[in-house]
Amino acid sequence: MPVTLRVKRAKRTKRAQRTKRAKGMKKIYIVVIFLLALVVTLIFATGMMGRPKPGVYIKKLKDSHYQLIANRKPYIVKGACYNPIPIGENHEYDWWSDPHTPWLRDGKLMQEMGVNTIRVYQPHENIEEVRRVIHDLYALYGIRTILGHWLGFWEYPCPFYSDKAFQDRIKKEVLEMVAAYKDEPGILLWILGNENNYSCWGRVNPWSDEEIDKEADPQKKNLLRAKIYYTFVNDLAREIHGVDPDHPVALGNGELVGLDIASKVCPDIDLVACIIYRGKTFGNLFQSLKATFDRPILLSEFGADSYDAYKNLEDQNMQAFFLESQWRQIYENLAKNKKGAGNCLGGTIFEWTDEWWKHNESDPKGYKIHNPEAGWSSGSYYFDIKAPGNMNMNEEHFGIVALSEELESGLNKRIPKKSYYVIREFWKNPNLNPKNKKGAKSR
Amino acid sequence: MKKLLVVLLTLALVIPICALAQEQPKEFVVYADKNTRDNHYIPSGFMGDYGDVKINDQAMDNPQTGATCIQFVYTAKKSQGQGWAGVYWQNPPNNWGSKKGGFDLTGMTKLTFWARGVKGGEVIQKFMVGGIKGIYPDSAIVEIGPIELTDTWKEYTINLAGRDLSYINGGFGWVTTADLSPEGITFYLDDIKFEVDTTLKPEAKKQENIPFYVYADRSSTNNHFIPSGWMGDYGDLKYDGAAKEDPYLGDSCIKIIYTGQATQGARWAGIYWQNPANNWGAVDAGYDLSKATKLTFWARGEKGGERIEEFKVGGIMGEFSDSDTATIGPVILNKTWTQYAIDLKGKDMSYIIGGFCWATNVDVNPEGATFYLDEIKYE
Repeated sequence: MPVTLRVKRAKRTKRAQRTKRAKGMKKIYIVVIFLLALVVTLIFATGMMGRPKPGVYIKKLKDSHYQLIANRKPYIVKGACYNPIPIGENHEYDWWSDPHTPWLRDGKLMQEMGVNTIRVYQPHENIEEVRRVIHDLYALYGIRTILGHWLGFWEYPCPFYSDKAFQDRIKKEVLEMVAAYKDEPGILLWILGNENNYSCWGRVNPWSDEEIDKEADPQKKNLLRAKIYYTFVNDLAREIHGVDPDHPVALGNGELVGLDIASKVCPDIDLVACIIYRGKTFGNLFQSLKATFDRPILLSEFGADSYDAYKNLEDQNMQAFFLESQWRQIYENLAKNKKGAGNCLGGTIFEWTDEWWKHNESDPKGYKIHNPEAGWSSGSYYFDIKAPGNMNMNEEHFGIVALSEELESGLNKRIPKKSYYVIREFWKNPNLNPKNKKGAKSR
Repeated sequence: MKKLLVVLLTLALVIPICALAQEQPKEFVVYADKNTRDNHYIPSGFMGDYGDVKINDQAMDNPQTGATCIQFVYTAKKSQGQGWAGVYWQNPPNNWGSKKGGFDLTGMTKLTFWARGVKGGEVIQKFMVGGIKGIYPDSAIVEIGPIELTDTWKEYTINLAGRDLSYINGGFGWVTTADLSPEGITFYLDDIKFEVDTTLKPEAKKQENIPFYVYADRSSTNNHFIPSGWMGDYGDLKYDGAAKEDPYLGDSCIKIIYTGQATQGARWAGIYWQNPANNWGAVDAGYDLSKATKLTFWARGEKGGERIEEFKVGGIMGEFSDSDTATIGPVILNKTWTQYAIDLKGKDMSYIIGGFCWATNVDVNPEGATFYLDEIKYE
């Protein structure tokens, strides 16, 4: 065969092979495009993309520091416990359905202060009303909601944490709450219980069962109760994670009491939400928790009242002094601060507005009086500890916003106290060294 | 005109230099001799069982220097039921912080004084400078003690270097207890003065050595903390820190009677051992007990079966709060001595005002409770 013919044939063969390869590639492209289209369609169909709900989770950093992440960004909880009971009403008042929408008035004030979270101890029964509040606060003011559940703590005669029927009923309520609100974009996390752990030590709402009663040693009785209670809370946390993987679950706890037991039976708890009233300092709370139960901590209830029970007069400076000091310690113990424990996620001040019904809930006349009598004693709040009987804690004066009897659009007028402004400035420019006014450091 | 300006300029330069060159006082006398003009404070602040204390500020019985010294007689009779007594030197007299008085002693770095007992062995729980509270509080409090006196004069020093002495109303003071001196004591003081000593350095907060006793025996100089924090139904309590009834170790133990009568209506009662007495966190005086890994104590009930709801260390919260707290309880006491331990591993014991505490209530002791404690110590 002449050389020219051989060359031509070879060229034809190569061309044919290229055409064949190109056709094969085309088929592959079509298949890939088809598959991609299928995946995208499936994603949209199942609602996995474009869903407004942000994921909230806890990130463990090096040095065992913890950070709360919401919307893929670090989130410091700058919050307040929220229970806007108007003057003249008591805790049974249904503010969720108040036609004057107190949460809108408060939400604006909160936003101006820098509050990004409210804590509600337990939602109202009406799901739509609760959703509306959570939605409004988040959509209008960017304020998230922490929802809690009392776990039957205030039921009469007492909680029966070892009783299966009681457990099942509480579990049903908790899971219904989670199912109802888990898809609300404003939800931040869940808190199970408040100071229920004290019931295990018989300090409040004591409970027992036949098995516990058989134990003669009172210390062991307490430990038995604690183990039962914390195991139950862990079961709840595990089941919540099953239906809602997008929000952390907190164990509500009075002080650190019992957390050594919780550390053994609560692997599914994501964080501890502690109720702490220790005056100007939290002491070694953060390090102590790290040593006892290595979980991040949210100060879910802390603060100071604004009434000097010794001098018998309003003292907003005293409240502001304590609150600023407490926030300074919270910030010192946030993640990435080398001086602190790095396990604090923030806090929710007790509380947003004063509640005028609290001193004596059996006296409806008192709901209209801003009672100056103290309800309990704590030496940690030392300015007025010399009050008669050392009774210095004025339960009706813990708000950082005062209520006036004057009405504005049907609501008691809100008057921010000094602490409102002091904390607002602290959040804007956290100064961790109070002696050095130039030492402010932004976060 | 030119000359006048030169003169004025020279004066303006020379006067301050002369003022600076004037020597700062090297000492500031609290007591030198009776009727000496140099004396600056008055021993007017009688505390605790003030009826048990007698003073003679012109004693001529072998003064350390000069013609007189001060003699104190403490009878330990508990005239006011306190179990302790002491005296503050104040300016003006009887000023418990209600009046502006005191002195600015900035620059002084120590207080020295001479002391002796009549027999030797007399125990003063502490000597102190400053610490008076009130509307015009002292700017510092510094203490030393307990100190066991000798029967010859001996000089003692309170290091004040680095302390804020800008306002000192309580120039000097002493306190002792009936437990430390159950038979009463007579002792002498002389030549009490603040001094400048540039070689002195501020005392670092030291970690206390272990064992650190809360209670060893009634008169032991090793005892720390005072059982002063009576809580709840304090009228239901009787405390005897020198009980002879079968002590676990040594010559005495603590006997506590709780009547359970709810005298104050609280239905519970307890006692905190504090430093100093009655310190609920208002005084910066915590011990650094970081070396301790546990607190141990021995306890027994008179009948057996007495129930103590809580034994505790730390937990006092105030302007100066304890750095941590640890508890055990409830504990049902045996009739025989039994040792108990409060685990302190992992606890922050770097600042402890409330050295020991117990509490119980009428619900678990309807007939009251009598119980004994001994050998309370940090280990």
